Amino acid sequence: MSQTIYWITTIFLFVAGVYLLAVMERWITYGRFDLLAPFKRSLALLGQESVTPRKMDKVFYETAPLLFIVATLMAAMVLPFGKGSPAIDLATGALFINAALAYIMVSILMAGWAPNGVYAMIGGWRFLGQLIAYSMPIVMAITATVMRAESMALTEIVNSQQSLWNIIYQPVGFLLFYLSAMAMAFLPPFDLPTAPGTLAGGVWAEFTAERLLVFRIGRLALIMTLSLATNVLFLGGWYGPWLPDYLWTFLKTLAVAASFFGVSRFAVRIRYDSLLEWSWKFATPAALFNILWVGILLLL
Amino acid sequence: MSPLIQYLILFGMLVFTTGLVGMIYLIKKSLEKTLEEPGKKVPAESGNLSPKPAWGRYHVHYYSFALLFLAFDMEMAYMYPWAVVYKELGIMALLDMGVFLMILFLGLIYTWNQGGLKRQ
Repeated sequence: MSQTIYWITTIFLFVAGVYLLAVMERWITYGRFDLLAPFKRSLALLGQESVTPRKMDKVFYETAPLLFIVATLMAAMVLPFGKGSPAIDLATGALFINAALAYIMVSILMAGWAPNGVYAMIGGWRFLGQLIAYSMPIVMAITATVMRAESMALTEIVNSQQSLWNIIYQPVGFLLFYLSAMAMAFLPPFDLPTAPGTLAGGVWAEFTAERLLVFRIGRLALIMTLSLATNVLFLGGWYGPWLPDYLWTFLKTLAVAASFFGVSRFAVRIRYDSLLEWSWKFATPAALFNILWVGILLLL
Repeated sequence: MSPLIQYLILFGMLVFTTGLVGMIYLIKKSLEKTLEEPGKKVPAESGNLSPKPAWGRYHVHYYSFALLFLAFDMEMAYMYPWAVVYKELGIMALLDMGVFLMILFLGLIYTWNQGGLKRQ
């Protein structure tokens, strides 16, 4: 019985989170608050004519949006919302979210290749470069949290933060994870694959109507998943006074997502070669330093 | 809950999501048909019709980073099991991995020194 309640609560909170994120993105980015906007946008996209490019790779074109949303939701499935009775508590949870989210890059690259258009293609290749930049910091930051919890199970990682949250224990790791998560969701300072100003939509330029709708829902779900992951790995998951555990997870996740949008509103888009350079010159050594830092703290 | 059931739920989620997306596509398909018009199906290229295919050779300027990434990614595969038993093994684990990481880190510094961390 409690399992059923857990399932219903989790799914409801996740869907509500995705909806609120859609409202929030509009509110923070454009200053327009409209609770009905997500529905209007969805209807507009469903009403749009479905145009497909003429000489395309059909398999990649059809698979890319689906793979995007499937990979995102697979990662979201293993992230715990509350302490009650987590439905899926994989022993390799921390590794699993990493493996599932690696397919985001594959999906975007497929979407870039498929339409046989130059802008989309450049967007796709750029995102591959972006993966090379963000992947090392994010993986090493996760490893440092695993070291502290002595387990890859995500519930154990949350439990290890009962006395002190990881954001204070390993601030460098948090910063790296935060920025890498933004790069993974291609939010504005790192929105190289879509790049509205320079690439005219990039990888999404050739996707219309229902496929674009799936991409957009997937993108919001991805931001929700990454905020949830930030919360679980660094912000103490469900721990907090007074309120019930599910609500704490939900509120913290929304706060992280709001900060993502807030940061991306004021940031200037970075060039992909600068991104790669800074990532390997500063972020990767910082991530290694973070592992050493946690290692020494654990031995004390 | 046994691991087998967990993976079954994950697989169920995969099927469910695919079904959901398929449903959106079907709803869309039932709504209208795309009109055939000249020039409509050509990929965007700044107002011009792009006659040439885009599937050509593309110079990935970041290949040196990609090579470095491969080395570090292999190292990460060892790092996960190491991280789980780290506290148990104590200082020996730190030294063991420290030597391994130091060698890799020297590789990074060598690449930097040779100008590999620049746009080619």
